[in-house]
Amino acid sequence: MSAHAEAAHHEHHGPPAAHQSSRVDARVLGMFLFIASEAMLFGSFFTAYFFVRVVNPGAPTEWPPEPYHFPVFVAGVNTAILVTSSFTMHWALQSIKRGQRTAFLAGMILTFVMGFAFLLTQVVEYLNVGFNTGDGAFASVFFGLTGLHGAHVAVGLTLLGIVIVRGFRGHYSPEHHHGVELPGIYWHFVDVMWIVVYSAVYLI
Amino acid sequence: MTATHDQHGGHAAEGYPEHFEPPRGRAWTMAFGPGLVRGAWMALRVVGLGALLVVALRAWWGWSPYWDTHIVLVVGAMTAAPIGFLAGIGSFDYWLHYVSGRPTRPEDHSGHGARTWRDYFKVNTDHKVIGIQYLVTTFFFFTIGGLMAMLFRAELAQPGLQFVDSQTFNGLVSVHATLMIFLFIIPAFAGLANFAVPLMLGAPDMAFPRLNALSFWLLPIAGLMFLASFLVPGGAFASGWTAYAPLSEGQPMGQTFFNMGVQWAGASSIMTALNFLVTIITMRAPGMTFWRMPLLVWANFTTSLLVVIATPFIAGSQFFVMFDRIMHTDFFTPEGGGYVLGYQHIFWFYSHPAVYIMMLPGFGIVSEVISTMARKPIFGYRLMALSLIGILVLGFSVWAHHMFVAGMADWLRVPMMITTLLIAVPTGIKVFSWTATLWRGRIRLNTPMLFALGFVTMFVIGGLSGIYLGSVPIDIHASDTYFIVAHIHYVLFGGSVFTIFAGVYYWFPKMTGRMYDERLGKLHFWLTFVSFNATFFPMHYVGLRGMPRRVFDYAEAFGQLNFFISIASFVLGASFVIFVYNIVTSWTRGPVAESNPWRAHTLEWQVSSPPPIFNFDEIPQVVGGPYEYGVPGARHAVMSPAKEHVAEQEEVHA
Amino acid sequence: MRKGIVQLVAIGVGIGVVLTLVAVLFKWLPTSASEEFDRIQDLYWFATIISIGIFSLVTAVVVYSVWKWRVPDDDDADGPPIHGHTGLEILWTAVPAVLVIAIGVFSAVVLAQNGRAGDRPLEVEALGQQFAWKFTYSDFDDVASGELVLPLGREVRFTMRAVDVIHSFWVPNFGQKMDAVPGITTEILVTPTRLGEFAVVCAELCGLGHATMRAKARVVRPAEFEAWIEERQA
Ligand code: HEM
Ligand SMILES: [Cu+2]
Ligand SMILES: [Cu+2]
Repeated sequence: MSAHAEAAHHEHHGPPAAHQSSRVDARVLGMFLFIASEAMLFGSFFTAYFFVRVVNPGAPTEWPPEPYHFPVFVAGVNTAILVTSSFTMHWALQSIKRGQRTAFLAGMILTFVMGFAFLLTQVVEYLNVGFNTGDGAFASVFFGLTGLHGAHVAVGLTLLGIVIVRGFRGHYSPEHHHGVELPGIYWHFVDVMWIVVYSAVYLI
Repeated sequence: MTATHDQHGGHAAEGYPEHFEPPRGRAWTMAFGPGLVRGAWMALRVVGLGALLVVALRAWWGWSPYWDTHIVLVVGAMTAAPIGFLAGIGSFDYWLHYVSGRPTRPEDHSGHGARTWRDYFKVNTDHKVIGIQYLVTTFFFFTIGGLMAMLFRAELAQPGLQFVDSQTFNGLVSVHATLMIFLFIIPAFAGLANFAVPLMLGAPDMAFPRLNALSFWLLPIAGLMFLASFLVPGGAFASGWTAYAPLSEGQPMGQTFFNMGVQWAGASSIMTALNFLVTIITMRAPGMTFWRMPLLVWANFTTSLLVVIATPFIAGSQFFVMFDRIMHTDFFTPEGGGYVLGYQHIFWFYSHPAVYIMMLPGFGIVSEVISTMARKPIFGYRLMALSLIGILVLGFSVWAHHMFVAGMADWLRVPMMITTLLIAVPTGIKVFSWTATLWRGRIRLNTPMLFALGFVTMFVIGGLSGIYLGSVPIDIHASDTYFIVAHIHYVLFGGSVFTIFAGVYYWFPKMTGRMYDERLGKLHFWLTFVSFNATFFPMHYVGLRGMPRRVFDYAEAFGQLNFFISIASFVLGASFVIFVYNIVTSWTRGPVAESNPWRAHTLEWQVSSPPPIFNFDEIPQVVGGPYEYGVPGARHAVMSPAKEHVAEQEEVHA
Repeated sequence: MRKGIVQLVAIGVGIGVVLTLVAVLFKWLPTSASEEFDRIQDLYWFATIISIGIFSLVTAVVVYSVWKWRVPDDDDADGPPIHGHTGLEILWTAVPAVLVIAIGVFSAVVLAQNGRAGDRPLEVEALGQQFAWKFTYSDFDDVASGELVLPLGREVRFTMRAVDVIHSFWVPNFGQKMDAVPGITTEILVTPTRLGEFAVVCAELCGLGHATMRAKARVVRPAEFEAWIEERQA
């Protein structure tokens, strides 16, 4: 223990800069790996869905079984909203890269508002959907997948919120925009995932 | 996530004043500064918040009763309290600062490195400190898990019920396995790798030091959650570490502690794995190509890929069970249209890769030890690395070999059997390469080497019993019996645990700057080796003869052997005391160790013991392979590369 | 060098002989009481021979190396810088691959044979419920019994169901096992070849009483079986 303490008193203040052994930025790589892991989490929910609906000998022929139905149209509109928000996100990022601060902020706020609208619509949908978690395996799958996705939207919105606050304080510039880029990658992931969830749960 | 070490205030726009912490009194700092005290009271406070939230939401929805202890526990004690605790000890301080929109604090490295033993109880961003935190914590849980095993072995010494009731017995078995897997083997490897990998790569730290600290602090939360399950009504979770639905869905409240504990442990291992991957990809020293990386790094690279890809599946499986339990969903309840076998498929899609998560880092450790102690290059280095990748890929295609008798689709059996048997090929390559590395070496039979060789021989037994189980017709007879218990202990105790011991002895001088006692080390090995075999070898026999696993009672015919096994298991437990004694006394009073007592070539041995706080004064220049023993003039790295030398090397390399 | 090889082989053979003795002197498997288990036992011996060979080889090399080339801990010379040998590496990739594929093919054949129902097997429904088994003979007016009685020499098809949680039907002497799973039915075939009483064991953790979820299986002559059934039908 004391030997350790001795070594700790080193004159050096601060580490030597690490050698960058890859062209990929560490934070971007980290975000992609995180997303890979997240995609697998969705994968486990889709697997449960697959077993309940396809492998299960007791699966209902009608999906969802009578008398329930999924609000395909409302969710479709919601899909459009979320997909659009991916474009505004992209616009915001491009703007800050070009140093256009107002466009950047406008893009971020638009993205946030659309994301928020999506979430709100989903809450309203839950309240009016006409069945609850205990109404059968189809409902488990429905709430499971859309709920998992909703939680991701909530996380995404938090990240976007942070970007907006910091954006207003002028923390980003054409040179420093990792703080926008990373939440952006996450947001695109959330959107793409929704398209898969929507197709699997509502359409098929 | 966005916090790398070199960030030093990267995003801070100019013109912002530097942030200064006003000086405060000692007592104030104790109570309100980041640390365990603040962690405790913040955890307690948010339990209340969580409870309030549940009651408020239930009242709003009009669900009665408003107070549901089970849900309050999930939200308050198992979700909010850990977050409060983490915030309290200061895991989030930096990030909260960032998100609140204040300018980034310049990194003063105050949370880096340990100056006194107290620093080990704080959030620390130094990978060497974190590695030791991991190891001490995991050995703590190893001790508890071991004591539980001795308790239920005492129960098993005779047929019939003697000491504990049936629920407690099942609880002990389940918590034992869970602690050993999630709180010992997986994180102990993460601890050893945390210490060694950045050093081996020639990096000053991990890629995300704050995330690294957070990953560590999730572990005690998971461990305490598993243990706390003993305290709730109905007792600990008792459906085995595999927690098959629907049994786990009808269990008392303790099961929820398993559902949630696994989430925390899983999050911890995903974060660590992500950190290792990014570190290995982006922070290798100049000249350290993939084909010059030590095999321990290779092993952790492949393991981390497994963790990142597979772990979400166990998270999913436990979410479904928990939803079925508390939200009345029907994922695995046939009455509601669910499908029971879905649980096993999802669970094993993680848990088979998990057995390699529990083995590959050990392969890495053993490669380091054998090559260094036999003074020879690892035999067939490239094939050794490639076989790790082979195991990684094949490992995802064999999960259903745990379900040969589960009633799954018949057509899945033969393909899964073939892939399972094929995994023996890359595994065999590794074993043969280790033995070939020994051939004509100059073998120093010290404690790490003894454990490494013990591992090679014992692991072969485990691998061979794996072949029996991979063969469907034999598995139909042997599945769910003590033969399985024997198999998993040969691979996980004779395999993983032996390698952890090898690793701890091997890096002990590097970690502590002191030498362990070699005589006690050897005594520890031999006692462990003999009592391990005495405990687990007879289990093959009782299993094949007809004794199922996870039972407190068994046919009279197995009485004598079980008595023998129980006695042997107590000796095995006692052998661990020698290890603890050796480690504790050597750490406090052992002779000072040299910087490179094994004369190893890898980078961690080229710096002082213990290493300097930032590992290297200058990033070394790697110029050759890591195991060039016996090659005249060969070097792995130049420690203080002169400028021209670097340029020259980089040219050669380009 | 030649002497070394001889010594190495001697160690390997020594280990192999000891292991073979351990394998044959102890009775590792229960007495087979079914055709299916006979086949499984052949497979088991095949795997055992291969396992003894591999284990002897590996331990012989380890023991021999340590014996021949051990040096004191403070020795500071290095061994010869041998980096590998392509031929050897190919060999120890190919040979194990062939061996495991042999085991795989043998297993697949046994599995197919054990899964082929002859014409008109005796149908028995096994129902698992915490913590007992119930056997129903659907060929005979659904006669039900807690004891499993089977005629000698006739193929039996068990159809398994579970009421509450997963159980696993296992008769060690038949070498056959299958889970009973809520919501689906599973099957397994057994052809008893030996008269006597055997244990039915639940092999899957099913709750508090799992350890004691046992039943009796009795294999009797066909005539005796008929009589037993008739007595029950009445
Ligand atoms: C040649 C390599 C291996 C093969 C062919 C193999 C095969 C198998 C098979 C078929 C089973 C399922 C048995 C059953 O439940 O009926 C099994 C169980 C198991 N194996 Fe392996 N195995 C191998 C290596 C390993 C390794 C390296 C580990 C871990 C380090 C491991 C850990 C386990 C565990 C923990 C179980 C039991 C899980 C449970 O049901 O609780 N195995 N193995
Ligand atoms: Cu497996
Ligand atoms: Cu049972």
